[in-house]
Amino acid sequence: MTTLTQHKAVAPGKSIIEKLNVFTALALGVISAIVVWRLSLAFLPEESESARLFSREDKITLLSMCGWFVGFMTGIGALVGPFRWLMGKDLSHSENMFLAGENMGPKRYLRYTTDHKVVGIQYLFITILIFFLGGGMAMLIRTNLGTPEGGWLHPQAYNSIVGTHGILMIVGTIIMVTGPFGNFIMPIMIGARDMAFPRLNALSFWLIVAAAVPLIWGQFIGGITTGWSAYNPLAGQAPLGMDGYIMYICIFALSTMVAGANITTTVVKMRAKGMTWNRTPIFIYGVVASVALALPAFPVFFLSQILSAFDRALDTSFYNVAGGGSGWLYENLFWIMGHPEVYVILIPAVAALMEMAPVFTRRPLFSFNVAVLGIAGISGLSVLVWAHHMYISGWAPLLNAPFMLTTELISIPTGMLFLVLVGTLWRGRIWMTMPLMSIMALLWNFMIGGVTGIYLSDVPADAFLHGSMYVTAHFHYTLMGAGLTGALASLVYWFPKMTGRMFDKRLSWISFWMVQIGFNVAFIGMFMVGLAGQPRRVEAYAPTFNTANLVTTIGAYTIMIGMLVLLHGVISSARNGVKAPKNPWQAKTLEWTVDYPIPLENFDVLPVVTSDAYGYGKAKS
Amino acid sequence: MTNLMTPKSPQWWKKDDVKKTFILWILCTAVIGYVGVEFHVRNMVDPASETMSGVISLMRVFTWAAAPVAGLVSAICLTVLTSKRHYGDNPPAEADHEIRNSPKTAAVWVVVSGIMCLFALVAGLIVLQHDNEAVLDSQAIQVNVTGQQWVWNFDYANGARSEDLYLPVNKPVVFHITSVDVKHSFWVVQMGIKMDANPGYTTETAVTPNKIGVFDVRCAELCGLLHAYMQTKVHVVSQADYDAWLSAHAATEAGA
Repeated sequence: MTTLTQHKAVAPGKSIIEKLNVFTALALGVISAIVVWRLSLAFLPEESESARLFSREDKITLLSMCGWFVGFMTGIGALVGPFRWLMGKDLSHSENMFLAGENMGPKRYLRYTTDHKVVGIQYLFITILIFFLGGGMAMLIRTNLGTPEGGWLHPQAYNSIVGTHGILMIVGTIIMVTGPFGNFIMPIMIGARDMAFPRLNALSFWLIVAAAVPLIWGQFIGGITTGWSAYNPLAGQAPLGMDGYIMYICIFALSTMVAGANITTTVVKMRAKGMTWNRTPIFIYGVVASVALALPAFPVFFLSQILSAFDRALDTSFYNVAGGGSGWLYENLFWIMGHPEVYVILIPAVAALMEMAPVFTRRPLFSFNVAVLGIAGISGLSVLVWAHHMYISGWAPLLNAPFMLTTELISIPTGMLFLVLVGTLWRGRIWMTMPLMSIMALLWNFMIGGVTGIYLSDVPADAFLHGSMYVTAHFHYTLMGAGLTGALASLVYWFPKMTGRMFDKRLSWISFWMVQIGFNVAFIGMFMVGLAGQPRRVEAYAPTFNTANLVTTIGAYTIMIGMLVLLHGVISSARNGVKAPKNPWQAKTLEWTVDYPIPLENFDVLPVVTSDAYGYGKAKS
Repeated sequence: MTNLMTPKSPQWWKKDDVKKTFILWILCTAVIGYVGVEFHVRNMVDPASETMSGVISLMRVFTWAAAPVAGLVSAICLTVLTSKRHYGDNPPAEADHEIRNSPKTAAVWVVVSGIMCLFALVAGLIVLQHDNEAVLDSQAIQVNVTGQQWVWNFDYANGARSEDLYLPVNKPVVFHITSVDVKHSFWVVQMGIKMDANPGYTTETAVTPNKIGVFDVRCAELCGLLHAYMQTKVHVVSQADYDAWLSAHAATEAGA
């Protein structure tokens, strides 16, 4: 009864929550950054002669960025809930409904909205934006490498673009499946009304927006000249832009931790009645493995960057040899995050294609148990392989052999994923759609990425290949050839459920072939120059590498056109595509049982699950 | 791996799609193995040391070992794609095939990939052991390598210092590598060796050049503004030429 009266009391006046949106957040963020900047300029003591050149500027930059962060999160409304709770009066029912975005139309996409479907679309939007920016930078890199002497980009600008492209794409690929589809589709797929912690869900998205600004800011104060790995001590002597990178990583790490806890809890606690682990769709396993893997990985990333910030701004010596630190410490911390992180990217994309494989072959998923074991095996092993990035660092030559063992062991669970996919294709009724062909493309690209990975896992071969373009081509084959292919297929597959309209078939095919052909042309060329001895991250190279580099550049432009066609497809199909039926693919997972537009809490009556989602084929089992 | 269908069926290998897949498997394996090996070997630099020759033959062996797996996956995809395809907006009829599991196939698959994994590991370890021992060779020439933004410096036992590396042919050499500023990576491309230059630490790697000529040294770790230009040459010369060069340079050092 008390809630009811409170509800009535609040209803007439406009609650603070209703006044906050992305614009108040931007305004408050900017004001707060400026205030902190002026204050730190005024009150921070001048440095002594002995201190490092940029130390005071680093302090000011980092503090201003923290100011931005706190201001933005306050302005978006992230603190209203905790603050109210602290005051002893929780949000009223109407405020909660407002937060969920009920009856708010497009405005809810610009607010701290808790509905998982809104968060999913927001994630989709920011993923597209990140790929647009990161892809644009890739085009600048490839254009610069069209000629051996490089030239039209200043080396510092080039290095900064390489670093920013790297970190943007890493973040973009981390969120590309678990963000849009993990948020929009996953709760419906398990038969839940929302995520376990809807406000944390909104928080995880807006943290990514808050993180973006320091990264862009960094571009204007010297850039990120260290590559995405930001090795120390190079990062210690890098310009102020490095502070933008540090802030970006710290905030993004918070976001993945929040999202990881939320998604894991949702899947463990909120699956529909009767959805035992054996009846849980394989995509759910992929999403959970991905975010659960991020849970141990990203705190380490966070820590590595905090220490980096201390070294830069406070003249500590975690990574500084002269003061007793070691660059090897950074490398270890970085790769303890860095290797699980590639599987954070890969697993949900492969799992999404596993989810689609039975739908487009009209037969059951082959060996569900092997698929689960494969995902679990990769996740488990992936935390034990980080030092294969450091074979030739000289850090611990004795550990090379054990790390070679763990790394090569990963090929066993990875092989299981291949078995599941080819086993499902075998004797299926092939329905020629872009997602079906994406499975083929994934098998092809991931095969090349995987086999080249075995060469690189071999210490003597790595002594030749490490740090060359061969490595760059290898990880693009895994993260882009396999990962991005899965994400694009997911987009086409779940597009009808997210927008109510079918994705334009013709555009999906054009984009598919342009991206896949362009991709293989580009990165085969990159393998060639790597084998011939071209190092990574160079803005100029020996003239003998010119032809293959030109091939790569041409391939890259083809990918760009393909991706622009896809973007056009997203916009035009969402606006005036063919209206989608409830279940256009005749799939058996729960998200296809709800009508579009999906009601606020997804289900009027929560579903009860009595079998797994793979009962295709003539003989029903 | 053709027993993807139920093992109980008496003559599963006589089915058309199994036969087709088998033939395609052999074809794909041959093509992928050949193209893969040629692609790697042709693009790789001509070796100027046993170490590099070892890397090349390792790539050859690994590619041939991986070819049957890649061939099988490709063969199954091709069989599937050349079977009856359904186009259109509505789903095709349900498939006749509804095998959900085949423990035997999974077991064979895992055992085979386990054996291949073991093979790759042993092949790698043998070469690795050989490389590790080379570093301990006390008869070898000792050269100190120092990276700094953005040049390499080479110091020889007699006090000579140069920015181009000079080495005698067929004589083992051990490099002691360090850096004065940030991390670099010392890569002698045609000799197949690479080792990071870390500030504050010294790392070792060793090689025996076996060809007279001029080869490339490049930095393989992003080290700042002019990383792309941090490269130099290694001149592998006859023992007599090397001795002459070394004494000439030692003399200049002493004279200066």
